[in-house]
Amino acid sequence: MFQQNGLSLDQAPPIGVVFRLFFVAALFGILSGVLILFYGVSIFDSSTLGAVTLTHTLTLGVMASFMLGALFQMLPVIAGVVLTSPIKRSLLVQIPFVIGTISLLLAFNLSYRILYIVASALLTISLLSAVSMMLYRLLKVSNHSASSRGMVLALISFGITIALAIYLTTSLGGFASGEYYLQIKTLHYHFGLFGWITLLIFSISFQVIEMFYVTPPYPTVVSRYLVPSIFGLLIVGMPLELLYPQISIVVATLFSLLMISFAILTLYRLSQRKRPITDATMWFWRLGLSSLVVSMALALLTLYLSNAFLPVISTIFFVSFALSVVFAMLYKIVPFLTWFHLNAQGYYKAPMMHEVIHPKTAKKHFWIHLSMVISLLLSLVNENFIYLAGVITMISFGWVAYQIAYAHLLYKKIEKSGEKFDMSSFG
Amino acid sequence: MIISNYMKAEHRDCDTAFAGAEEAVALGEWSVAEQRFIDFSNDTLTHFKREEDELFPAFEAQTGSSEGPTQVMRFEHEQVRGLIGKMAEAIESQDRDAYLSLAESMMILLQQHNMKEEQMLYAMCDRVLPPELKESTLEKMKATTL
Repeated sequence: MFQQNGLSLDQAPPIGVVFRLFFVAALFGILSGVLILFYGVSIFDSSTLGAVTLTHTLTLGVMASFMLGALFQMLPVIAGVVLTSPIKRSLLVQIPFVIGTISLLLAFNLSYRILYIVASALLTISLLSAVSMMLYRLLKVSNHSASSRGMVLALISFGITIALAIYLTTSLGGFASGEYYLQIKTLHYHFGLFGWITLLIFSISFQVIEMFYVTPPYPTVVSRYLVPSIFGLLIVGMPLELLYPQISIVVATLFSLLMISFAILTLYRLSQRKRPITDATMWFWRLGLSSLVVSMALALLTLYLSNAFLPVISTIFFVSFALSVVFAMLYKIVPFLTWFHLNAQGYYKAPMMHEVIHPKTAKKHFWIHLSMVISLLLSLVNENFIYLAGVITMISFGWVAYQIAYAHLLYKKIEKSGEKFDMSSFG
Repeated sequence: MIISNYMKAEHRDCDTAFAGAEEAVALGEWSVAEQRFIDFSNDTLTHFKREEDELFPAFEAQTGSSEGPTQVMRFEHEQVRGLIGKMAEAIESQDRDAYLSLAESMMILLQQHNMKEEQMLYAMCDRVLPPELKESTLEKMKATTL
């Protein structure tokens, strides 16, 4: 809409762009519940088909969809980045992304070469084009904040994750020799989980924690150096440790300590917040950050203590961290966008945020989500709990899908009513 | 960065006033809430006036554009003014749920607006306005009252 001298102050992207990405994420979430039921406790053994399939359903299907949706929403605001023709662009990304993800999940299970080719091609095209488009726009920003700088590094990490994935899928499809397969797989997993997901969450936190909950700002040393330090460890330390295993303990210890420090600092900042309301999003943040502390503390422990359960429990808490933060964001973004778009267009009946999703509804979902985490943990003690975990996962994401669909229907209904102020004077 | 620093500090002061009013509403202390809400809206509206009467015209004159970002900012100010009106009604009718719901929208709207100003507009002002003009605009803004 408005662009001059590289300065752009556009409004939020069309509501359908974000909602469609979120909705697809929720559908993949329901699928992950089905997969838990199907594969049972084999998902806890990282070498099994079940674990690989579920991991990619969660990381690609759920997390990548949610996070791309959040980026489409946040880039114009945080970084002044305007994505031209966002509807077209997002569909160009989303359709091949969904087909590619499904092909990849099938490829793991059926081992057809053609599926690996389709998955690699579609996911590479869709994700690399999204990442490069966002990076290109972000790099043109002249006045960077801790958030926008962090987003650049998160997106670079995502690009590296995808590049490594191409090598892995071509090896699995029989098109590459598969040399250093396990090492590349480890790097792929580190860049995906700790580079892309974690760095993006940290970068977003610098902005949303302080501003939305009115907390004291993060110390400059943290907001300026934390994300680049973690990225530096990933890009230098992790490949080095593959060559010199003796340094791995130092790299992993530093890495875990940085993550734990950030989580504890953010929890402390939230406790200092000036806004008094403890709504569901606050509980999601608390659960997410506490889960990160536990996950990283256990990861640290596995360096010194050999125990089969520790890495599994650490992974469950990491999943809890990532999903909890995503839900915390979702319950702000969905109601706000619904209200914002209708209000900005001048509809009299633009619903208030609580009318879109009431905090009590979000709080109920918090309990469902927490039950999912607990039932996953319990299934390590008694295998039968895995079925409960599968069912609760389906309920949890079904709940999210319903909230998004409800918000969108409400939006359409009010838009259809056509009762609005004349906004022409604002151009 | 004198413009950025001054205006950012005002944003944070408005946030603090906002949080104070919200806290009083949450506790059901309506008379305290009313006073704090008046403080918040006065702070916010004065801040808007400083921008609309002094900063934006200076920026527009310097860049030769009144159709660009400053117009979007003015439009968002109108949205905030609309919400202030609705929140005042909620305080008057002592409707806690309505106030907290409106407050949620207000917070995100204001923060998105503030981010755009802090990330882009103020930084641009600090860059494009000549030093003397910056000083005088800042002085005029400080002298502006409702």
